[in-house]
Amino acid sequence: MVENARSINIAAGILLAIGILYIVGPLYLTLSTASQSYEYMLRNGLAWVPGTEFFANIEKVIHDTRIPIQMLNSMIVAFSNALATCVLSFLSAYAIVYFRIRWAGVVFALILATIMLPLDIRVITTYQVAANIFSPLNAVLDFTGLNTLIASVFGSPVQLELSVLDTHFGLVAPLVAHGTGTFLFRQFFMTLPKDLFKAARMDGAGPIRFLIDILLPLARTSFASLFVLTFLSGWTQYLWPLVGASTPDMQTAVVGLARLVPDADGQVPDFPMIMAGAVLVSLVPLTMIALLQRFLVQGLVLSEK
Amino acid sequence: MTAIDLSIRAAAAEIELIGVTKSYDAKNTIIPPIDVTLRPGEFTVVLGPSGCGKSTLLQMIAGLERVSGGRIVIGGREVQDLEPKHRGCAMVFQNYALYPHMTVAENMAYSLKVAGVSKAARAERVAKVAKMLGLADFLERKPSQLSGGQRQRVAIGRAIIREPGVLLFDEPLSNLDAQLRHDMRVELAELHRRIGATSIFVTHDQVEAMTLADRILILNKGRIEQFDTPKVIYHNPASVFVAKFIGSPPMNILDVTGDGSVLRLADGQVVASYAGKGNFQLGIRPEDIAVNDGGSIKTEIRYREDLGSHEILETKIADQNLRIAMPFGVEIDTGQALSLSFPQARLHLFERETGRAISGAFGDAKSQSAAAKEYQ
Repeated sequence: MVENARSINIAAGILLAIGILYIVGPLYLTLSTASQSYEYMLRNGLAWVPGTEFFANIEKVIHDTRIPIQMLNSMIVAFSNALATCVLSFLSAYAIVYFRIRWAGVVFALILATIMLPLDIRVITTYQVAANIFSPLNAVLDFTGLNTLIASVFGSPVQLELSVLDTHFGLVAPLVAHGTGTFLFRQFFMTLPKDLFKAARMDGAGPIRFLIDILLPLARTSFASLFVLTFLSGWTQYLWPLVGASTPDMQTAVVGLARLVPDADGQVPDFPMIMAGAVLVSLVPLTMIALLQRFLVQGLVLSEK
Repeated sequence: MTAIDLSIRAAAAEIELIGVTKSYDAKNTIIPPIDVTLRPGEFTVVLGPSGCGKSTLLQMIAGLERVSGGRIVIGGREVQDLEPKHRGCAMVFQNYALYPHMTVAENMAYSLKVAGVSKAARAERVAKVAKMLGLADFLERKPSQLSGGQRQRVAIGRAIIREPGVLLFDEPLSNLDAQLRHDMRVELAELHRRIGATSIFVTHDQVEAMTLADRILILNKGRIEQFDTPKVIYHNPASVFVAKFIGSPPMNILDVTGDGSVLRLADGQVVASYAGKGNFQLGIRPEDIAVNDGGSIKTEIRYREDLGSHEILETKIADQNLRIAMPFGVEIDTGQALSLSFPQARLHLFERETGRAISGAFGDAKSQSAAAKEYQ
């Protein structure tokens, strides 16, 4: 406590109350709208009072929309994103910290740079690559003149093509390339005693054994917290799933929710149903946080217990 | 105490370093080629200031650092290209380096587990080592629940459980407080007697070196300054570096000039008789200086320190610092004039350019070295 004056306490209390209202207000509106019928909304506009139609709306979401299958997509994308990110970050941090690699510092800086270049600003090039994952190779062949050579020998240049758009892999892969996890693990590894690796070597454990027997158990909480964080960010991704998946059955739940608003002008969207869908879609990350919040805090506090 | 348990006992191996050298690049040589042989079962302390390459030397023997050249032979086997686990060495680290998530028992048994020893056999060995080190009651604890001394014991237990032929210690006592350090020193000496492994102990602490070592290897910038028994090193230092490094307070070193019959200080005072001509450095230990004994060297006390058992007088002669150790209780006050004499038999003479000792400069000084030869 910096200051213990009554007036400041009151002022702080009011400020907090306003902040809470600001956050909880829309949430309340979501819930109350979700519990009213479409007709009620058409008649009264914003639903400030809760109604009784919540489960009916949920049922409508489940039966009449593709939200269930889209939630499954979200689940697959978020889970594989989290798992792949954790494994990749863990291994790359291991390589950077524990092995004498030339240019390790440069590599780490490049990995960090990905934090400053989020997917949202790379979305067009990412789309181009996802549309044909061989396009970089084709470009290299064209640029180096190898293709002219190949064309003169075989009659036509090499143009490989494989699209990963509209696949789960295509949705996940671009999300995985992100440096935060590597940074997190690197910082954690740096807090461990330096001689641990040497001690394990003296005990006869090779690099893989050290990774599994020593490093992995020690990094358990960091692993869990990174998993939760990337899962949440994967679940709430909007732009890339919107661009990367074009068929409704491949889209994620968050994109699906937005698509519930009809494209045609003049039609009033079924907001109660959409809000019910929003509640349904939020349940998964909410449960995740409720169950694993312990790790969220622990893993981010980098210290040896 | 019951009878000494000899069940944990190693087949001590001889260690031979032949032209072993380490450099990180062409300009940066950490250790110029070194040749040294450590006898089986010998306790060698590698002593030197920080950055002298002693840890690097140890890690090269362990296999944690690659050698840039030369051969390492352990127990008749060339090992410089082998993985650490194939060299028959075990190591105790400065910061213990225990596995934080494992219990004491798991920590000690890990190397056996990696080697594929059965669970029952592991438990048996752990029990034996734990009993030997007084850790039997702590086997299920995590390292974080142990005191510094206990952690150190676990680290030692982890090293000796495989009964290695070579035990390596990398400044293992430097994280402990003074009392514990003393106790651990005694325990280590005891342990060495029981296990009998060839031991190499790296430290910058001369007390550890003097008390633990069969022989001390003094390193300076990667070079061996002297490799001998503590006694010889103390009484017959091979160089100014060794003379200054061993002893507390260290040996006084004075610049003197020989005119063919006597050695004179810069101000002309005669300190000893010597037949050589040229520039020398004269060494005398603080405790060897005779005070007010009818000596001819005049000085006065600038500062005195009472240490209980003895006291240290700080003086200057010919603008060079001189420390004198006196038995406690001698009545001498600051500012008082002193007459000193340097007993000829206690003097050490070094070449001023190279810092190497001139052996036999003062006759019978070599009797100590003869005693040392006998030991070898």
